[in-house]
Amino acid sequence: MAELEKFDEAFLKKLEYLYIISRKIAAGAQRAERKKRIVGSGLEFADFRSYSPGDDLRNIDWKIFGRTEKLFLKLFEEEEDLYIYFLVDSSRSMSLGTPSKWNYARQLAAALAYIGLSNFDRISIIPFSSGLDGRLPPSRGKAQIFKVFEFLNGLDSGNQTSLQDAFKTFVSQNKRRGIAVVISDFYDPAGFEEGLNLLRYHRFEPLVIQTIDERELDPKILGDLQLVDCETGMVTDITVTPGLKKEYIKAFEKMCSNIEDYCVKRQILYFKAPIQTPFDELILRIFRAGGFLD
Amino acid sequence: MQFTGLDWSTLSTLMGLSALAVTVLYVLKLRKRRIQVPFAPLWQQVLAEKTHATDLWKRLRRLLSWLLHLLLVALLGFALGDPHLEKEVVEGRHIVLLIDTSASMASTDVSGAVSRLELGKQKAQEVLKTVGPEDRVMLVTFGDQLMPLSPFVGEPAILEAALHSMTVLATGTAYSEALTFAADSLRDKKRGELVIISDGAGFDPSLNSVEFAKTTTVRHLIVGESSGNLAITGFNVRRYLANKLDYELFVRVESFFDRPVEAEVEIWADGRLVDAKPMTLQARQTFQQFYPSQAVSGERLEARVRLKTTDARDVFPLDDRAYALLPELGKTRVLLVSEGNLYLEGPLLLNQNIDLTTVAPTAYDPAAETDVTIFDRFAPAVLPEGNFLFIDPQGESSPWESRGDEKDPIITQVRRSHPLMRWISLKDLNIGVAQRWRLDSGDESVATSIDGAAIVATRKAKGRSIVGLAFDVRASDFPLRVAFPVFLLNVIDYFSLDESTLVESYATGEAWPVPVGSGLNEVKIIRPDGTSQEAKVFEGKAVVYGDLAGFYELNGDGFRKIIAGNLSNSDESAIAPVKIQAVDQVVVNDTSSLVFDRHELWIWALLLAMVLLVFEWLSYNRRWTV
Repeated sequence: MAELEKFDEAFLKKLEYLYIISRKIAAGAQRAERKKRIVGSGLEFADFRSYSPGDDLRNIDWKIFGRTEKLFLKLFEEEEDLYIYFLVDSSRSMSLGTPSKWNYARQLAAALAYIGLSNFDRISIIPFSSGLDGRLPPSRGKAQIFKVFEFLNGLDSGNQTSLQDAFKTFVSQNKRRGIAVVISDFYDPAGFEEGLNLLRYHRFEPLVIQTIDERELDPKILGDLQLVDCETGMVTDITVTPGLKKEYIKAFEKMCSNIEDYCVKRQILYFKAPIQTPFDELILRIFRAGGFLD
Repeated sequence: MQFTGLDWSTLSTLMGLSALAVTVLYVLKLRKRRIQVPFAPLWQQVLAEKTHATDLWKRLRRLLSWLLHLLLVALLGFALGDPHLEKEVVEGRHIVLLIDTSASMASTDVSGAVSRLELGKQKAQEVLKTVGPEDRVMLVTFGDQLMPLSPFVGEPAILEAALHSMTVLATGTAYSEALTFAADSLRDKKRGELVIISDGAGFDPSLNSVEFAKTTTVRHLIVGESSGNLAITGFNVRRYLANKLDYELFVRVESFFDRPVEAEVEIWADGRLVDAKPMTLQARQTFQQFYPSQAVSGERLEARVRLKTTDARDVFPLDDRAYALLPELGKTRVLLVSEGNLYLEGPLLLNQNIDLTTVAPTAYDPAAETDVTIFDRFAPAVLPEGNFLFIDPQGESSPWESRGDEKDPIITQVRRSHPLMRWISLKDLNIGVAQRWRLDSGDESVATSIDGAAIVATRKAKGRSIVGLAFDVRASDFPLRVAFPVFLLNVIDYFSLDESTLVESYATGEAWPVPVGSGLNEVKIIRPDGTSQEAKVFEGKAVVYGDLAGFYELNGDGFRKIIAGNLSNSDESAIAPVKIQAVDQVVVNDTSSLVFDRHELWIWALLLAMVLLVFEWLSYNRRWTV
C-alpha cells in the first residue's frame, strides 16, 4: 500500500493559494475559454513551431520555408474544454527512499489537478509503470478535488518502468487530446524518447516534470558492492570508488540534460523537480513558465 | 641481529598461523554488500565506460589491505622475538656491589655529598639503574666485618631500602675478607662484575692475595679526595694510688697532614670542658704525652682534638674524639678489732673511701666479710685468708714471734721505695717500746731500728697479706704525725684492693668479652647512639660487639657497668684514597663498560605495528584499498 499522502486542510489551503497566484499570473482567464495549443484542430492562428517528424504536413507554413528553407508548423487555437491528463509514474524506482519521489509526484499531481479543476478543466489522473496502473476518469469542478485526493491516496507502486508501453496504451484509450503532464523519474531502460514521441504523435501536448531525488546524485556508497535494481532485480557487481562515483554523477546529469534537450528542441515544457524543493515552489515556477496556465 | 625472546620455531609457528587467520579474515571481508538502487543501468553504463587499463591497479590496491595485515603479523612476530643489535650484550651479568662502610668513609672530602659513603651510595644507585632484566645483583657492605644484605636478586628496587639505610661504622676495613667473599661468589658465573665502592684507605697491595676468575671484571670506584686528618689514636686515664682524686692522662694524636699544623686537645669530663691542651704537630707527626696530676672529678672522660690552622681542614671527624673511663672510687671495708683506740678510729672514720667497722676482740668473727682487718694489740687464734694489719700483736697467735721488747727504738733504716713508705717519713719517730720480732724467710722489714729489729714488717703467704707494726701507736707520737693517716692509707693501698687504677678502653670493630660477674644470663646494652641491644653472658662475660665509638652501658639484675669504645685505628685514620689492586688482573676505575644502553627494539616494532593498524583502518574506511 502506498504511503498515504497528507491531503489535509493545510494542503488544501496551499492549493487554494496556488490557484489564486495562478489567476494573477494568467491574464484574462475565462471559463472554458482558455487558449489552448492543440495542433491542427482550430481555425485561429496562434503560433509557429518547428516541424518534428510525425507532425501534420498540412500545417507546414510553406511561405516561411521558401524564405528560410526551414520547416515550421502553424498552430491554431481551439475553444473547447481542456483535458489535462496527469500521467504519474508509479514504478518502484519512484518509491525508493524516504521521502520518496512517489509522494512528491502525487503532491504535484494533486496541486496541478486542483488548479485545473478550479479552471473548470477536465482532469484525469493515470498512474503508469510498465503499463497503466489505474485511471481517474476526467472530472470537472473544484469539488472533484477530494476524489483526486482519494484516488491518489489509494494508489500502489507498480513494477518496472516502460514509458513506451504505458503511453501506447494511454494514447489508444484516450482519444480526447489535451495536456499530458508526465510526472516521472524517467528511469526507463528503453529510454524516454519513444514514449514522449507517442504522446506528441497523437497530438497530446506533453509537459514533462522530471522528479529527482538529490540523494541519488550523491550516493553514499563505496567499496565492493552488489547493486540490485529495485525494479528489475538485476544485480551488478561493482567496486564503487570515489572516481566511479564522480562518473556516475556525470552520467546522471547527462541523462537529465538529455531529457531537457529533447524537450527544449521540441518545445515541450520541461521542469526538473528535485523533491528536496517544496512542491509549491515548483508549482509557482511552472506557472511563471506559463505552460500550464495558458 | 640477535633474538632473545621466543625461539625461532615457536615464532614461525605463531606467525604462520596468524598469517593464515589474517588471510581467511581478509577473504571474508571481501564479501560484498547488497545495495538497492533505483536505476542500475546507469551504473552499468558508467562501468562500461571505465577503461581496462585501471583493472590491474585496482587489483593491486585491493591487495594492499591484505599486505598491511601480513606486515602487522610480521612486526608482531619480530617484537615477540625480542630483537637486539648484534653487538649488544644481552646475556645476564652477576654483579656484586661491595660497599665500604668503615670509619674512613665518614670523611667529608667529597663534592656532591656529605660524606664518602653518601657519594658511594649515589654511585651505587647509578650502577643499579643499569641493571637489565637478565642481570642479578648482590649488595654487600664491609668494614671490619662482611655483611651481605641480599642474595643475587633480579629486581634492583629491592635493594634500594638497604642501600639507603647504610651507615658508617667506627671500624677498620677487612679488605681481604671482602675480596675473598666477592671472588668466591662470582667464581662460577659466566659474566661476573665486582664493583667496589670504597676509598681504599688502609689497603695494602702486598697483603692482597685474592685471585678472581677470568670471567670476573673488577672495578673500583674510588671515593674521597684528600688525606688531611688529625686523629686521637690513644687516650687513657689512670688514677693515682695515693690520691684517688688525682689521675694521669695519656693522649696520642697523629697528624696525617703533609705540613705542620696547630691543634688543641680538649678534655671533657661528664660533658663539661675541664681542660684544653694546645699542641703543634709537624708533618705526619705522632704526638703523645702524659699529663700528670689532673685533679678533677668525673667518671666519663672525653678527649677532642680540634684543628686550629685556618687553611687546613680535618675531613675525618670520627677519630677526633676518644673516650675513657676513670676508675671508680670504691669504698674499702675495714674491720678494726680493738678494745678502743681513737687514734686508729679517727683517721679511718674521716676517710670517705673507707667503710669502718669496729669490734672488740671478743666479738671478732673470722668469717666477717671485710677487705682489711686491723688487729690492735690482738691476734686471733685462727687467721683466715685476707689482708691484715697487726699493730703490736699480743699472744702466741701473733704472726711474728716476739723475742722481747726494745725500749726507745730508733728507726734508722727505711725502705723508701716501699709502697708503705710512700709520702711519709719515719725519721725521728718517737716510740716508747717496740717488740723484737723474729722474721721468717719470706718476711720483709720495711722499717728497721738501729738494733736491726723490724719496726714495720710485711708477710705474704697462703692467701694472706700481713703488715705488722711492732709497737703500740699509743706508745708513740706516730698518731700525732701527718704521716700516720697516710701510713694507714698506704697499708690499705698496699693490699692492692684498688686494682682498677687503669680502665682500658676497647677498640671498635671487635667483639669485647666484658666481665659482668656470675649470676647473669644476659645483659642489656645501651649503645652510644642511644639504641639498646641484648647480649648473652657466657662464663661471667658478656660478648659485646662495638662498632661505634663512645660509652656503652651494661645493665643486668643489680648490675651496672660502663665501658668505653674507641676507634684508635691508625690505619683507618690514614684516609688517603688508595686504588685497590687485584692479583693478575687489571682493576677498572670507572663504569665505562658497565653502564651501557640497551636497545629495546621490540618497543619500536610494536609502535610501528600500531601505526600500520591505524593506517589500515583509515585506508579501509576511506576506501583507498577496497
